[in-house]
Amino acid sequence: MSRWIANALNALKDPNAVKFGLKRTGIRGFKLINMFCAIHLFTEYVGRPSTMAGPSMLPTLATYGEIVIEDRITYRLNPSSLSRGDLVTLKSPVNPSHIICKRVIGLPGDIVCVDPTGNKAPSSEHVVIPKGHIWISGDNAANSRDSRDYGPVPISLIQARLYARVWPLKDSTIFRNPTRIVE
Amino acid sequence: MPTAFVFTQYFYGLKIVSGRSMQPTLNPDSSLWRDVALFDRFSIYAKQKYKRGDIVALKSPTDPNRILVKRIIGLEGDIVKTLPPYPDPEVTVPQGHAWIEGDEPFHSNDSNQFGSVPLALIDSRLVLVVWPLNRFGHLLNKPMQPRNVESGNRSDYRLAMAELERERWRNSRVVTFHRKIDTERS
Repeated sequence: MSRWIANALNALKDPNAVKFGLKRTGIRGFKLINMFCAIHLFTEYVGRPSTMAGPSMLPTLATYGEIVIEDRITYRLNPSSLSRGDLVTLKSPVNPSHIICKRVIGLPGDIVCVDPTGNKAPSSEHVVIPKGHIWISGDNAANSRDSRDYGPVPISLIQARLYARVWPLKDSTIFRNPTRIVE
Repeated sequence: MPTAFVFTQYFYGLKIVSGRSMQPTLNPDSSLWRDVALFDRFSIYAKQKYKRGDIVALKSPTDPNRILVKRIIGLEGDIVKTLPPYPDPEVTVPQGHAWIEGDEPFHSNDSNQFGSVPLALIDSRLVLVVWPLNRFGHLLNKPMQPRNVESGNRSDYRLAMAELERERWRNSRVVTFHRKIDTERS
């Protein structure tokens, strides 16, 4: 230990060594920042795990304690792959700092019945979804604030598609689109 | 390289503004080039500060691939007098939304066409104009008072007065929503 201190003090006497040491630390620090930025870009643009919370997607997703993998790159590379029945995460239209997870029910141009049960709107009310917007709905319709409350939301708000659930391990599944077209 | 990308994503970036919807503030007819402006993402993503009167870049609600540059006229709770072709003469901006308009009301694809937009669509805030150089720094210090302009230069005074008039007209069409400050309670 004392030898290490003596070596360090000797090294300090040489001005070139100090500059070299600082330069090396600077480069290492920059490389570290670069790595953090690269990891951050990956999680923003390719995909990342994230925790889910809230009862609005029961029984698909539990109220708390689940971790899912979000897939951010599919909608960027292929925006037309957005289809009815996809599980998506999007920024909330009523609070820009919240991220919500819902299911896509209608695409632009579709005519959607706002609430067949009649709780939030008369059961005969229908809406034509405007261009560039989608209709989203939580799976737990009784306990979900979704397009029945705030109307169609712009497609630009979508952040990612849910790919699979990875925690708890016994419930891990890949989410498939459960839509069935009924003629 | 990832650091530079993150810098432009989260802090500042330069963008070219095209189109006539923000005349005469941006891209006036007197200019040969499209304006290049510095946009600030930090105040939107990190601080979430939206102010009436700010020029912002936002993703278009009708076309997910398009970015519009418009001005925030009203925030949530405000009552805004709309311009044609909007069907209602007055509209209350819902929670989490904003009313945006371009400065040139006849050539603008803005809230008068598609209504209030969610605040989450807003991407960045314009800080200053970088190019062309004779309008460098434009919009950095607001509002421009006619008193500050040298009295010897007639056209500058007229332009400053015109800008002030436009700002007064914009503000007259909005009734702002006064929120109760939480410190008043208990």
